[in-house]
Amino acid sequence: MITRPPHDHRQNTYWFGLSLCVFLAFFLLPCLSLHGAEGPEGDKVEEISPPSQENSLNKTADEYGDVTEEQTLSAEGPGIADPIEPWNRAMYLFNDAFYFWLLKPAAEGYRYVLPEEVRVMVSNFYQNIKAPIRIVNNLLQGDPEQAMIELGRFVINTTAGLVGLRDCARDCFGITGREADFGQTLGKYGLDFGFYIVWPFLGPSSPRDTVGWVADLALTPTSYISSDFMSPWSVGLYAHNSLNRTSFQIGDYETIKKAAIDPYVAIRDAYVQSRKKAIEKKSPPKKP
Amino acid sequence: MKKWLAGILLMCMLMLPLQALAGVPLDTIKANVNGVLEVLRDPKLQGEYGKKVKEQKVVAAAEKLFDFIELSKRTLGLYWNKLIPEQRKEFVELFKAILKDAYVEKITAYTNQQVNFSKEVSLSENTVEVQSTVVTKNAAVPINYRVIKREQDWKVFDVVIEGVSLISNYRTQFREILGNNPPERLLETLRKKLGGK
Repeated sequence: MITRPPHDHRQNTYWFGLSLCVFLAFFLLPCLSLHGAEGPEGDKVEEISPPSQENSLNKTADEYGDVTEEQTLSAEGPGIADPIEPWNRAMYLFNDAFYFWLLKPAAEGYRYVLPEEVRVMVSNFYQNIKAPIRIVNNLLQGDPEQAMIELGRFVINTTAGLVGLRDCARDCFGITGREADFGQTLGKYGLDFGFYIVWPFLGPSSPRDTVGWVADLALTPTSYISSDFMSPWSVGLYAHNSLNRTSFQIGDYETIKKAAIDPYVAIRDAYVQSRKKAIEKKSPPKKP
Repeated sequence: MKKWLAGILLMCMLMLPLQALAGVPLDTIKANVNGVLEVLRDPKLQGEYGKKVKEQKVVAAAEKLFDFIELSKRTLGLYWNKLIPEQRKEFVELFKAILKDAYVEKITAYTNQQVNFSKEVSLSENTVEVQSTVVTKNAAVPINYRVIKREQDWKVFDVVIEGVSLISNYRTQFREILGNNPPERLLETLRKKLGGK
């Protein structure tokens, strides 16, 4: 290539053609075969079957092979201590019964009575009123910018969104927020779960997240609706929020249970994984 | 003139493959998910018959999109090596059946939520995470597909919903059984779960 004369047009055309062929061969053919693979399944099976037949003759059975280190490590999730497992399992059974006997029928009736638009408004209202939690915790997590966004969202949704019934910040201005809670803040400061606790009604938690939950409750305006911290009104509003939320999620818990080998362990692991994830990095956007 | 043209072509050549490579896993998942969504939204598929057709389509799409052997290996991790070849085969089939039983109906019941594909993140040399968000009426649920490069295609080996990895979740459950029992016990448990539904 280096020795060829610089202005030999025929050579240039030759190289041009050759590189075009190479280009086609390398970059377009894989695309074509990929589209082929998306087509009828018959094509793919034909292509793959001859070698696999050979394999099964040679190696009798183990065509799957052992695992590699990467495969082993990829699913190694975080764990949690569970020293009070008997209590937790009992509480899990209690919550399970509570869901099927009370919460689910109530949520189904609620869903039947209230149109979806109204339930979305209720959901927006409770979400908006929890803005102090997100503002304070974004600040504590060293993210004043996000705290300002949450403050802005709160101002817009409370005014233009009619006391938070509509997420106008998102719908009118495209401003989306980020969930932040005090348990997450403590986790970002380096505090670990401690151990696993299942609370009646409230579900999976840990000492750290229980402290977080109480702190968040202290930052929720509806907690102060009467002078008592746990007044019937504030508990009622909390329950209503849960009922409204559940009306959107009927069937989710059933699926989790159906998919699980041991639902108690599956839910414990899901709790640990999702909390770790929320602490590890900036949590995913709360609303689109 | 020719040189100039060749120069442009060379630049195009350098840029094109990069773009193509960056988008393939995401496009694969997106095309498959959208294909399923189209079937689920088909107004002609109503009632019991429609449900059957939808379920069949979902199962067919999953068979094509998922690599259940890779998924099984990664779920069991080192425990996989303790299984003899016949047990490995049976485990893959049982696990697939359990996932099918649990999720196909749920996916089929899926209504009018919107799915947005945002981006893909490289995890290792041959694995990529395709990130998407399912927008429901009152929340946005992040669903990420972890895919591995195969000869012709990208195949899913893990689904991460709201930060919870499917295979990691199952590994924690299987560990409870495999920790102090022979592999046969795990297969027995799975068989029982499938039989007793």
